[in-house]
Order: sequence, then C-alpha cells, then structure tokens
Amino acid sequence: MPEVVIDNTTYEFEGSPQLLQFMMDEGLEVPFFCYHPSLSIPGNCRQCLVKVGQYVKDDETGNYVLDDNGDKKIRWFPKLQISCSTKVQDDMVVFTQETSEEVTRAQQDNLEFILINHPLDCPICDQAGECPLQIQTYKYGPEGSRFEVKKAHKPKRVELGPRVTLDAERCINCTRCIRFAEEISKTHQLTIVSRGDKNYPMTAPGETFDDPYSLCTVDICPVGALTSSDFRFKARVWEMNQTPSIDMANGKGCNIDLWTRDNEILRITPRHNPEVNDYWMPDENRMFYTKFNDNRASKPAIKLDGDNQSKTSWNNAVETFAEALEAHDPEKILLIGSPHASVEENYVFTKFFDLLGVDSPRFATHIVSGYGDHLLMTDDQAPNTNGCRLLGLDEADGETLKQKAKSAEIVIILADELLDREILNKRDLNEKYVVYFSTNMNDTSKAADLVIPITCAAEHAASYVNVDGRIQRTFPAKETRYTNRRLNLEMSVGRLDRYGTNFDNWVTEENKVDCLPLWEFLNHLGERLGLELEFQHSRSIMSEIADRIDTFEGVSYERMDEEQGIQLPIELQKLKEES
Amino acid sequence: MADDWRTYEPLLIPDIPDLHKIDVYEDNGGYEALKKILDNQDTWSRENVVNEVKEANIRGRGGAGFNAGLKWSFMPKPDGGPRYLAANGDESEPGTFKDRKIFEFNPHIFIEGSIIASYAMTIDTIYVYIRGEYISWYHQLQKAVDEAYERGYLGENILGTDISIDMYLTYGAGAYICGEETAMLESLEGKRGYPRVKPPFPAQKGLWGRPTTVNNIETLANVPLVINNGADWYKKIGAENHPGPVLYGISGHVNRPGVYEYPTGVPVTDLINDVAGGMRNGKKLKAVIPGGASTPVLRADMLEGVSMNADSLREAGSMMGTAGLVVMDEDTDMVEVLWRISHFFHHESCGQCTPCREGTGWVEKLLIKIKNGEGEVKDLDLLLELTNQMEGRTICALADAAAWPVRHTINRFRDEFEARCKKSVHAGV
Repeated sequence: MPEVVIDNTTYEFEGSPQLLQFMMDEGLEVPFFCYHPSLSIPGNCRQCLVKVGQYVKDDETGNYVLDDNGDKKIRWFPKLQISCSTKVQDDMVVFTQETSEEVTRAQQDNLEFILINHPLDCPICDQAGECPLQIQTYKYGPEGSRFEVKKAHKPKRVELGPRVTLDAERCINCTRCIRFAEEISKTHQLTIVSRGDKNYPMTAPGETFDDPYSLCTVDICPVGALTSSDFRFKARVWEMNQTPSIDMANGKGCNIDLWTRDNEILRITPRHNPEVNDYWMPDENRMFYTKFNDNRASKPAIKLDGDNQSKTSWNNAVETFAEALEAHDPEKILLIGSPHASVEENYVFTKFFDLLGVDSPRFATHIVSGYGDHLLMTDDQAPNTNGCRLLGLDEADGETLKQKAKSAEIVIILADELLDREILNKRDLNEKYVVYFSTNMNDTSKAADLVIPITCAAEHAASYVNVDGRIQRTFPAKETRYTNRRLNLEMSVGRLDRYGTNFDNWVTEENKVDCLPLWEFLNHLGERLGLELEFQHSRSIMSEIADRIDTFEGVSYERMDEEQGIQLPIELQKLKEES
Repeated sequence: MADDWRTYEPLLIPDIPDLHKIDVYEDNGGYEALKKILDNQDTWSRENVVNEVKEANIRGRGGAGFNAGLKWSFMPKPDGGPRYLAANGDESEPGTFKDRKIFEFNPHIFIEGSIIASYAMTIDTIYVYIRGEYISWYHQLQKAVDEAYERGYLGENILGTDISIDMYLTYGAGAYICGEETAMLESLEGKRGYPRVKPPFPAQKGLWGRPTTVNNIETLANVPLVINNGADWYKKIGAENHPGPVLYGISGHVNRPGVYEYPTGVPVTDLINDVAGGMRNGKKLKAVIPGGASTPVLRADMLEGVSMNADSLREAGSMMGTAGLVVMDEDTDMVEVLWRISHFFHHESCGQCTPCREGTGWVEKLLIKIKNGEGEVKDLDLLLELTNQMEGRTICALADAAAWPVRHTINRFRDEFEARCKKSVHAGV
C-alpha cells in the first residue's frame, strides 16, 4: 500500500486523498479557514501551508537515492504547499507546524495578515468562544502585531436577508458562504464584491439573501462576520449547554444541537451526520426552538364549566382520568396516536390502553404535498411518521377519524395538534370526553376536558424514525420540575453548571415546565387502575420494543449513539401502502 | 548582439498604411501562412505546426517567457468535446501597452496566428479577451474579424477545407487580475475574476472545464512569421535563447516614448538613447523598470552590457516581463515611484488570498507613511519582511509581482528611503 510520511510518522493511504482531509482523518491538526469537507476547495485562506517533498528514486534501479548521511534524499516542492488542495502521493514527505520552523513561521505570518484588518471586538462578538479564528490565533498566531497603521473599514450590521446579519469588517474572505449558496443550497445569492482588502460578501443589488438555508452560512462562517439575526447578542457560547438532539420540525430528522441556558433553548444548530443532513439544516426548522420554550402546557388542566379550563393537581388529574375510563365501555374509547410523538410514547400509549381492552390507536399523517425540496425539507411535517407505521398504528385520514369519533364517548389524543391542523374540528368532539396529552397549549388543548402536560423532545430521551427509515434519538436538554441536571447522567452540564457560583449560574424556576414523560404519567394512572405494569425509562422501553417488534430488533440507545442512528430494515413504499 | 537591430525592418507592425484592412494585409502576404498550411495539410500536419513553433522558441510575450509551441503540446488528445484558445489581450500593467498596437495597426496578423494555433491544437473556438479600457480597439478588432469571416478565413469550412473555427471577442471591466490566465478564464465564463488553483492547468481543465490554451496577443502574432519563414529563420532574429521580434513599450522621461518593434536583445541603453531619442531635457538616467511595473527596477549603474532578453536581464537582477520599459531621470523620487506601484497592486489585488489581500494594503499604508516623512527605518525592514511573507504564498503571481518592486526598489535605493524616514525618537535605545 502507498505510504506518506507526515512529521516523521509513516501512514498508509488508499486512493488519492487531499492532504488536509487525510491529516484530519488521521487525527492530526493543521490550521485552516476556507476549507470545508462538503464544499469545493478554493485554496484562498493560505493558512494550511505545509512543507512537502518527495523521496527521490533512481530512475534505473528504482531504489531510493540516499544523501551523505544515508537518509533518503528528498526533493522539496519549491514553495510551501496548501495542504487542502495537495493530493497525497506515494513517497510523499510532509512537515507541518509540529516539526518545521519554516511552516510555523509561515502560518504565523498568515495569521498576522488575517488579523491586521480584523476588528479586535471579540468581547462583543457572537462568534467568540466558537471562533476558528480566535482558537487558531491562540494556537498558531504570532505574539502581537506589527501593524501600526489604520485598519480598513467596511459596512457593519448589514441585513443580508431576513435571517442573516453581516459585519463585513470581520469577514476574512474565505468564501465558504458563497460556495454554500453555489454548491449546496444552489440559490447563487451571494458573491464577493469589491476588490483586495475592500472585499466582502454581498447579494446582487436589490436582492435579499432569503435562501431557505441561509443560516447554514452562519454555522460555517469561521469568524463572526455572518451572524444569526435571531440569536445575535442573546448569549455567550460558554454560558450555554449543548445537547445533541433530532430535528422535530419535519420528517428528515436532521441531527441537531440544542443550546440551552437557564432551561431555555436559545438556538438550534445542525450536527454533522453524513447519512442524514451532512452539516446542514433548513432555516425554518431552527425556529422550532420557540416551541420548546413558549406556550408550554404546564401542570394538568381540567375543564370545569363551559369552555373554561382550570389547572389542577397531578393526583386529581389521575383520579379524573381513571374515573372517566372506569365509567365507559372500552369499545367507546378512540385512541389517536401521533407522528409528532416518539416511538416510545406511541408504544406505551398503545400498550397501556390495550391492557384496558381499547382498540389500537389510529394516527393522522402530517404531510404537505410539494413542501419538500432537493435538500432537507420534506413533504412530511412530522418527525416520526414511519415510527407510527412500524408500531402498527392505523393511518387514518380526517374523514375516518371523524367517523370513529362519532361513535366514541372518550377521545384520547397523543400530542398532535389535530384541531390546529384541521384534521378534526370542535364539532367532532362535542359531547365527548376529550383527554389530550400535550406539550403545548393550542386549539386542540383548549377543546380538551383534561390536558395532561407531557415532556417535549427537548426534555426526554426518545427515538424517532425519519422519512428514510432511520431511527435516531434525542437527549434531555431542559430540566422539568421533576428532573435535575446534576442527577441525570444524560443531561449535558455546561461550564456554568460546573464552575458557576449561585450568582452567575442563574436558574429561573418558571423556565422549568411542570410536566411528566408520558410513561411516568401512565405508571401513576396504571397504579390507580390496578394494572400490572410499570414502565422504567425510555431506554428500557426501547429495549422492550426491540425485543417484541422484529423491525426494531437490535435497536438500542447504545447503538444509536455509537452509530449516529440506525437504518431500519424496511421497504418504505411497502410500509406506506400497508399502513 | 551588437548593432544588428539598427537595420531591422519591423515585421509585426510594419510601416504599411492601412494594414489593418484585409485587402492591404493580403496584398502584403497576409493569410499566406494559413493558406500554406491548409493547402498542404500533409506536410503541415497539426503536429508539424506545433513542432515548428516549438522549434522556433517563441517565448510567451505576456511576461512568463514560456516556449509557446511547448505550451501547445501540453494540450491533451482531442476527445470530441470542445477545446478552446483564449487569447489574452488584457494587458494592464503600468508600463505595458504593446498589444494595442497590434489591434490598431495589424490585427490580421494576430487573427491569422490564432487560426493557425487553433488548427495546430484542433481547436474550433477562439476567445479574445480585451482590456476593458481598450474598447475602441475592441471595435477595431471586431471589424477585422468580420472581414476575416467574409473572406472565409474564419467560420465554417475555412478556405474550402473541413476545418471550422470561430473567433469571439469580449472585453474586461477594468480589473488587472483578469489578465492572469486562470482569472481570465473565470471572467470569460462570466464569473468573478479570481485566479484558479493550479493544478489542474488550463490545458487539462480550462474554460468550462475543457482543455484550453492561453496565449498572449503578441505571441500569437508571431506565429505567421514562423510558418512563412521557418523556425530556423525565426531563431536567427535577436537573442539566441529568446529570439524573435519584440514590441518594446518605452515610457517615462525620454524624448520619444512609444511602442517600437525590434528584435530581442537590444541593449537597454540603446533603447533609451537611440530608439527613444534619449533622456528628456538632457537629464541623467537614474533607473529603468525593464518589463512592466512588477519587474525589479535597475539602477543606471546596473545597465552596462544589459540587453533586453530573458537571460541578460536575469543576470542583471531583473526580468524581461512584457518589455515595457519605464525610464526615470535623476529627478525621480523613488519613494514616490514605489508608492505609486504599490498603490496599483493594492488597488488591483483581487483579494482572494490572504497574503496578497492584506499584504498589498499594508505595504501601501507603510509607504504612504514613509512618503509623508512619518516613517521610521524599522518600517523599511518591516516592508522587506512583508515581501517575504507575501511572495510564493498565494494562488497566482500577483503577490509576487507586488512584492518584487518593494524589495528591489528599497534594496537598490536604500539611502533615498532612509533619508525620507524621520530620525527615531528612540535613537540610541
């Protein structure tokens, strides 16, 4: 196998990888700004310079030529090379900043150049704390600067589009944003304008950067030039907890990170998963975070007279629910599951009421035909449609549900905004006893006789099967009234949680929602009804599902974590037809 | 080479009235080279044309001085897809103004050379990229191209053969960087003129990813001469390793600035004193920039025995470039000169690569400081260090072109620069 020697260590390689990517794959580090694994290579930041040579071989004998010391003779490339666009070749010799004074110096020189016109406004810059320029300057930059003349000035606070704000002075002209709009979102909305040190990215005159993926440019901007208009100045990076999760806004299940401070989600950013969303996610899905914070169903609510609801205790909610169940024939109960709820929730929902002799739940898909695009938007607006199908829930359209509701006396709805999205209307639920397991307050909750607040995807660990049949799971990011970050090993603990004092690690109790995971509530209800049943936690529920349902065989949280989700062995078309 | 040049008769821009008209050009042996090739395609096979041009050693007149025929031979074998010739008429370096003389006085020799080059490389499309400021010459060349189409030298079935070649003209928007060959290709594609990372070279992946050869206008204009008279004849013109006629653009403090055609290898002092009529107002010569603003300046005392060919100029510590000589007399302020050159490169850096984008600006700002008498000696040393930080660290050669004048002008006129710096308040510390 061909070999390359990097910093005196020999590596084998296959094919002809790019040197920078190869070094990163091998766990080596070279500083860079413009390179991005999913974009073309412009070679313009000039930061990843390394010293490259080739062992010299005798043309006739094919043996290595040795120098006076008996070492293999190296023919050096005449200049330092940018590793991003250099192809690894057999017998190549590479010296990085780890071993070469010349390379160290060249990288320092380059950083000095980058910094001369870059404002030193890190203390007020959103990017500080997650800024490649800041990090690499600390690691590889020169000490101080010899630049004693005036910096170049460029436009600041430019609203490039509805969601992205540009500070042109911070821009280092890496062109990642431009290449993103050219190559990934393909809207071609950005270009560099002007020349030389007056360069900055901009739209065509009169155009606005309304690319449906525009915030991806904020993610990949290696400095604070492109900032999210929504998140701008909201929080410092190091004040937040970063929790891996799955996008709930559509069927793709983009891998995401939830960023929380004081139990509020402040932003959603994409998390790299080459099998699902690569490094990207749609702008509108990022706004889903407001649903985790605002208008939450907190504390059970019960309808007293007319349409007025009143908060009530958990004990009373359990008692009221139990009495309603006892007073009615199980055949007169209609269960409606939800493609917006997790696999685990739909499973315990089905299993629990099955013990009471209730028919298995129906569910209404949430598909908006024509909504999808070439990238990550899908027609399916729900994160777990396939999960419902795989659990054997019957897919029902509005008409069917309405018919079923007619003959029912109790309607139990799991976390689906059926009234809001006009699958059912208020009339259909007249004279019925409606129980609604809900994360948020909405039109559906208003129509319910009993609202049981349950945890949302940001508060529990649960799994979702995306449009491509891939099962992926979330982690709890927000505390509820009944959970504690320090006691839950799955919850991320941020810098402030670890090191903060009571003064800077603020906690607002109102930000904690009074809700329970569905399975915990069902345990209480089961106990009251005298059922032989206890759900542990979502992890054990998933292993139960894996034991009982063939398609989920071998699925576990451990495997999902290790493999970034698991592709289930299903034929999607067949599944759709069967359901 | 001694005084041979004094008897030289111009070949590229001969003194023939109305030569830009196709009738006059034809009456004076125009398009004979093309006919000769197309009528005898057995003798003048495509390979033979390439070999003849390679043998003639026409060194690229755009500044790099690379053997044109050798460049042609880098084109891959035809695969049936499109291939392009891109003729570079974007000359914009201060001191360089030669190609416009071809556009104006002898456009057909360039057109004929381009057709022959296209034939030799099995190319059917020629793009000519003309400097934006040359808009009047763009129209003039377009007229010549139209005439060539009418006479059947361009278009379908050239001169009754099965060979078809089209020529399209386009012009830039005033950016110097678009004269860099790959930036020119980007610009031709309708994109921002950013130079491309090489490899791949244009011969492998040029215009729209297809094999492309980029040649200077003057280089292509030399091709009919080689075909008409043979490589051996051509090699005897001018300097041995750098043969052929050259358009010398002489500007600055001389009596008769202008473009003059002479063989390569004319002594620099002869060009100034005889060709350009000597120094203006009888002043003494101070310095010469021999090949456009990016080439290192030569002090008057460095010119002895130096002639205009690549080897001689390299020995003297400069370069042939585009043979655009900028002549400066004893009153010239070298700080001002260097600032003006650096201002140009700062203004024209495309801004793609960090060292050039930031370096050219920093250099200019330091020179303004020195020019205004606010500089310190340490700024001179910083300038020299910056040239090292810029050179060889970028995609194209603009950073090098910006760095060389700084390094060499300061080194060769150090006293003058130091005299402009204020005495350090920290002297003795």
